[in-house]
Amino acid sequence: MPSDRRLHPLSFLFAIAGQLRQFLIPGLVVVFTAGAAGGEWEPWLMVAAIPIALGAFVRSLSYRYRLDDTDLVVRTGFVFRKERHIPYARIQNIEAIQSVVHRLFRVIEVRIETGAGKEDDATMRVVPVAAYEEIRECVQSRRPAVAAPAAGVEQPEPSGSVVLRLPARELILSGFVDNRSAVLIAAGFGVVWELGLFDRVAGLLVGEAVSGRSVLRQTLRAVFRGAAPSLQTAGLTVAGLAILFAAATAISMIWAYVRLHGFVLRRAGDDLRAEYGLFTRVATTIPLRRIQTLTIFEGPLHRLFGRAAVKVETAGADAQEQGATGREPLAPIIRRAELDRLIEQVLPGVRAAGLDWQPAAPGAFWRELRKSAVVSLALTLVLAQAFGWWALGPLALLLALSAVRARRFTGSLGWAAGSDAIWFRRGWLWRRLTVARFSKMQIVALHRSPFDRRTGMSRLRVDTAGAARESDRIDIPYLPAAVARDLHERLSIEASGTRFQW
Amino acid sequence: MHTADADSASDQTQAPVPAPTAASAAAPAPVADGVRHSLNPRVVLLERITGLIATVFLSGILAIGTGILWLAADSAWLPRLAAVAWPVLTLLLAWHSYAWPAISYRHESYRVDAPGIEIRRGVFWRREITVPRSRVQHIDVSQGPIERRFGLGSLSIYTAGTDYAMVALRGLTHERALLIRDHLLPKEAQDAV
Repeated sequence: MPSDRRLHPLSFLFAIAGQLRQFLIPGLVVVFTAGAAGGEWEPWLMVAAIPIALGAFVRSLSYRYRLDDTDLVVRTGFVFRKERHIPYARIQNIEAIQSVVHRLFRVIEVRIETGAGKEDDATMRVVPVAAYEEIRECVQSRRPAVAAPAAGVEQPEPSGSVVLRLPARELILSGFVDNRSAVLIAAGFGVVWELGLFDRVAGLLVGEAVSGRSVLRQTLRAVFRGAAPSLQTAGLTVAGLAILFAAATAISMIWAYVRLHGFVLRRAGDDLRAEYGLFTRVATTIPLRRIQTLTIFEGPLHRLFGRAAVKVETAGADAQEQGATGREPLAPIIRRAELDRLIEQVLPGVRAAGLDWQPAAPGAFWRELRKSAVVSLALTLVLAQAFGWWALGPLALLLALSAVRARRFTGSLGWAAGSDAIWFRRGWLWRRLTVARFSKMQIVALHRSPFDRRTGMSRLRVDTAGAARESDRIDIPYLPAAVARDLHERLSIEASGTRFQW
Repeated sequence: MHTADADSASDQTQAPVPAPTAASAAAPAPVADGVRHSLNPRVVLLERITGLIATVFLSGILAIGTGILWLAADSAWLPRLAAVAWPVLTLLLAWHSYAWPAISYRHESYRVDAPGIEIRRGVFWRREITVPRSRVQHIDVSQGPIERRFGLGSLSIYTAGTDYAMVALRGLTHERALLIRDHLLPKEAQDAV
């Protein structure tokens, strides 16, 4: 019988810190608002944190784990004991996080995830690094062998073959390309600016007349009045926005570098392992057979640089949680030429080459156009209330734009059924390509709205496990009805002919 | 619509369902006939009764709201509007709960065959959902108090999916729901790794 193991002797510190961190922000808010309002008792609300910290302390002292032959056994609690058995075969992902503080003490936080999703089933906060290695080896070696034909033959070295390695240049590029955070930061700055929080600073620097609050508002107001805004104001607005955007992009690039420093994706046997992070090191292990769908994403900037990003969905992990633990895409950035190789490694046997791509129904363009035309018209009516018939100008522009978008979007729609996977692509500027193995399909559903029936079309939805993100689903619109029926039938047969493994 | 005739014809095909004796359970599942069936016709009445209960409940709430308006509102037209709206809404609800079950009944059908079950439903927004047997995680058969009176039961099929994590089928006879459950559940005691 394997012996019980404890966490690292100092783990109670990390447990308490982890609990208190959740209290930090609300706590600060309470303290500050109380201070502003002159309250005296509000800060005492923070006393509530003490029992929570105490609970964490006791739990971490009572935490024992044991590596049995088939299960990982976790016991917690002194008074109310809880023993949890996690079969190795059920483990979806082992994630290890090492922050700077962790590294100082040579310890690591290990999160073990199963299909249960909501709670992380076993979070070991914290164990020595050697113990983490042991757990990982144990889970990998004692898992029942997968019946994958090809994977069993080759026996790669324990560290695994490198699938993707991202040098600093690529990371910074990824920060530049994927600057959603930059947009957010810029928007945040804009709001702060408009609210006049920078008034005094800017006023001191460039004088009250041009800096003052709401330069943007003044400009817009001037535009709407039909008068040309003063050159100075307009120039300042544009320059201000440009500077904000540039600063935000720079932050995004630095952040990408810090977050993803030393990104390496390896394949070891049937597992994918990713490691990254400059200050907080993250190591995550994804068993290949847990991968439900794979999505390749290309924004306009991605295409400009010939890159793409690859995400995978695993069963059980829902999207919100992924955001919370900061899980990164499988490949934050990758050269398009390397995509085929990556897919080959991640979904062995699934080939992107030689697919027979099928288009959307011919009438799709009109339906898409009608949809945006209705929206444009509604918008115009609202604008017409405010600005009179001048609003018809933007309407013409909107309609032209809608037509271009509808043409491009419906042209981008496509699906292909390969020998063992279904592929679906869509998007004009932001393109996505999602692939799911037949063995990972759960339910195939054919949807026909009244509009579909009038135009002889159907929508096909392929449901998979863990498809929490709307954007990564296989949901094929505007299929010709007959084609949809055939595909529905074929996929149903394929799904029932394969066995689903969690 | 166009399937209405075929569906009402297939109502009759459901009648000779064999009783769930030990013999029929052992024989190859008779439910997996690959024929499209309508729900049991009794479900229309069942839905009408549930709809009526909901109507009475909602109408009661609306009546209370109207009463409060009469007593409390300052404006003259608002209580009058409410007094007109209340019977109209109640009548609409009552009509809906009477008419809709029959309409939706005409558009709902299922087919069980060896690989799994296919469900069609939806009057305006139509859906055809295929659940392969190989993807069924577990199945609930439930029977509410009114359903028990009618001898009906509901089947809830759970999969590992996201949108369709649960697919429900109401309005089967309880026996038939049990038979379908036995057919769909995985036979071999496999390790569900």
